[in-house]
Amino acid sequence: MTLWDTLGDGYTRRALTEAVLVGLLCGAVGVHVVLRRLSFLTVALTHATFPGVVLAELLGAPLVLGSAVFGLAVVAVVALVAGARGGSGGALPTAEPGGRGGRDVSSVTGVVLSGGFALGVALMSAQEGFSKDLAAFLVGSILTVGVPDLLVTAVTAAVVLGLLAALRKELLLGAFDPTALAAGGYPARRLDLVVLVALELTVVTTVPAVGTIMAIALVVGPAATARLWCARTGPMTALAMALGAFAGVVGLAVSAQWDVAAGGAIVLVVSAFFTGSLLLAPWLRGSARPALAAGQRG
Amino acid sequence: MSPSSATGADALVLADATVAYGRVAALERVSGRVPAGRTVALIGPNGAGKSTLIKAILGLVPVVSGAITVLGQAPAKARREVGYVPQADTLDADFPVSVAQVVLMGRYRRIGWVRRPGAEDRAVAAAALDTVGLAHRAKERFGTLSGGQRQRVLLARAIAASPRLLLLDEPFNGVDAVSQDALLAALAKLTAGGTAVVISTHDLALAHLACDDVCLLNRHQFAFGPPAATLTPELLRATYGGAAVELGAHGVLVARP
Amino acid sequence: MSASLGTLLTVPFERPYLTRALIELLLLGGVAGIVGVFVLLRRLAFLADALTHTVFPGVVIGFLVSGQHGIFPGALVIGCLTATLFTGLAATRRVAEDATLAILLTGFFAVGVVLVSRRSSYTSDLTAFLFGRVLTVSDGDIVTTAVVTGAVVVLLAALRKELLLVAFDPQAAQAAGYRVIALDLALNLSIALVVVAAVRAVGTVLVIALIVVPAAAARLLSDRLLVVTVLAAVFGMASGWIGLLVSYQVSVDHGIRLATGATVVLVLVAGYLLALAATAARARSRRTAPDALAGSATRPALAGEATGPAAPSAPEAPARAAPRGPVR
Repeated sequence: MTLWDTLGDGYTRRALTEAVLVGLLCGAVGVHVVLRRLSFLTVALTHATFPGVVLAELLGAPLVLGSAVFGLAVVAVVALVAGARGGSGGALPTAEPGGRGGRDVSSVTGVVLSGGFALGVALMSAQEGFSKDLAAFLVGSILTVGVPDLLVTAVTAAVVLGLLAALRKELLLGAFDPTALAAGGYPARRLDLVVLVALELTVVTTVPAVGTIMAIALVVGPAATARLWCARTGPMTALAMALGAFAGVVGLAVSAQWDVAAGGAIVLVVSAFFTGSLLLAPWLRGSARPALAAGQRG
Repeated sequence: MSPSSATGADALVLADATVAYGRVAALERVSGRVPAGRTVALIGPNGAGKSTLIKAILGLVPVVSGAITVLGQAPAKARREVGYVPQADTLDADFPVSVAQVVLMGRYRRIGWVRRPGAEDRAVAAAALDTVGLAHRAKERFGTLSGGQRQRVLLARAIAASPRLLLLDEPFNGVDAVSQDALLAALAKLTAGGTAVVISTHDLALAHLACDDVCLLNRHQFAFGPPAATLTPELLRATYGGAAVELGAHGVLVARP
Repeated sequence: MSASLGTLLTVPFERPYLTRALIELLLLGGVAGIVGVFVLLRRLAFLADALTHTVFPGVVIGFLVSGQHGIFPGALVIGCLTATLFTGLAATRRVAEDATLAILLTGFFAVGVVLVSRRSSYTSDLTAFLFGRVLTVSDGDIVTTAVVTGAVVVLLAALRKELLLVAFDPQAAQAAGYRVIALDLALNLSIALVVVAAVRAVGTVLVIALIVVPAAAARLLSDRLLVVTVLAAVFGMASGWIGLLVSYQVSVDHGIRLATGATVVLVLVAGYLLALAATAARARSRRTAPDALAGSATRPALAGEATGPAAPSAPEAPARAAPRGPVR
């Protein structure tokens, strides 16, 4: 049974709508994540909001509220202990230093990520139904989103996209040359925090619906893919949003066709787009200015 | 140098200023005056506090005693009319931004929050880019330019804001001769228009050539005055701690930073 | 709790399954702490985290192929493959490294999820893979862990000065003739091996805590590499012991089931917070001392750490003390 066949069903339509909304939102935010090297922080945010979700469920509160509170706490802790910039992200070895000693961004992020998640697991294991909820948290259940979830996503998307659009030139300058931003008299740290808060809002609203893994993939994947094709942030943002939405739709189709987990399918589609672009983009753009390729350090 | 007659014409006044990060004094008791249209070179070895002084003039590092007055105001208030040109290699060369966009960044403060750049902004940016001789590279990605060309673009960015005081942090480091000439030509145009310029540099010959005054620094000030009076072997030796090299009758030409 | 501290510490020895769990946790805590120091020096926390996620499909495939016994080999194969892949990617520097890691991490994990979802008993298997079941480790598992642990420690000890050089100044290492890629590969493989060894005990998700947290806490407390390494190992082991104890006592005394792995991580994080508080207190007491030369924000860089070029208190004061000139 293909996706097309089930379009009449409410749950399919809702899943599609959610996938498109989430794809647009995450794609736009993802551009900032990629340019400011905040990918590790995104992973930490998705994991550390888990205890919030568990607590919310225990208390009968809306899941989004629980994850929002913990999400803000994560942002605050990392910003306080390590500073409001991503640094080198603690990814692969680079010569760019971040902070010092046990307080550098990647270590603090690692601590927050594992501590937060462990807290959630501990809380969860203390009650029944451990396994089932955990799976839902990690991989989401986009096929069971309800209208309230859609509304939350839509409102968040409107707010975040509006904010990013309004501040786009200041945020661009801040990502490119933070000293010039400060020298120009802008409140640089507060602008950095705007990005972190936008990311946090995106994560907390999408994780309960689509799970942590998919949230990360949709935030980072389309934007990183767009980066391989575009040399300007404007087109990059547009392409990232389009890819995000498209990956959601294709993933759902794949999931319906081959009876695999929807979340997993969507993530695999994102990875496929990225890997394909890694291989094709330099070749297809090679005839144009070769220096436009992503990895060259001038 | 005779003190300028009217303080109102001074773009920058340093009055016995001491600048510190936390408890550590980075630079002590610096004094001097930069009138409009004049150029001052900050000279000293690495770690002497040149960058720190520039950041203090921008209001980014606190002044713990004495005073720094920029265009007649406190540093933080004067930022709109102060231009800053950092070293180009501190920036990410992969960033997806064009040369024209970088220059346009200099106009953001004037454009204001939320609003988009308009035709006038683009025209000013284009003119600034032309001043540094790179109008033909406007649409290319910033990272595709050479180091010296990137430095020129950053100068254009500062010029686009029509500053009355311009601060450059080691702009000639690793810059090729063509770009160096272009930078100097652009700076000359600016000073002719009344902008005061402060350049930190190691290049003594350049200071001799292009600057009206020199400030010798190494955690505190050793001299402030015209190049002929300040770029003397004794003073340079004192500033650099004995590492200067003498060449020729006109005094030193090279100092080991 | 009614028992005294002395009795508490020996509780794990009362039952064989607890003793085995303890030995496993001690071994893992020790080696993870040591590896964590190198992860810290090279700021590889995200890489280590990514490896824990990419190992997951290996675990699943191994399990699908030959049940419980397939987990370790499956994880081992994929772990080494992805460690090599990441090392290669780092060398080419094609895309923003951290974005690539995030995408690979989610992609691999999704493969695991998709494979798992095709079975009916989806969710409980997932939990076991993700969180481990340290209370069910067998003697065979302990032997495997001991072998892997021993190998990693020997490798890191043998290469420690080269790894330190690469961490501090990769270009100098390259210039001196070292093959930086090979050293990177050695380190990444060590991380992968630790992750794989820990899969049965604490699962893929919590391994990252064992690696990152002890080293980060130890670094807060000392600037000397040897001390940091020893502290990290001790801290890792102690947290394993205490975590096991706490989760056991809580279940015995109060009937609450606390996942052991999660409890160990919470103990680790608590330790980190204590270290953070201790450092803050020390900094504050130094700040009130009337010593104008000691910057309160200064921490001497550990040999092996890169220091920020913009760090205001960077120790780059001119080596030659500038003589006070006659003209001010």
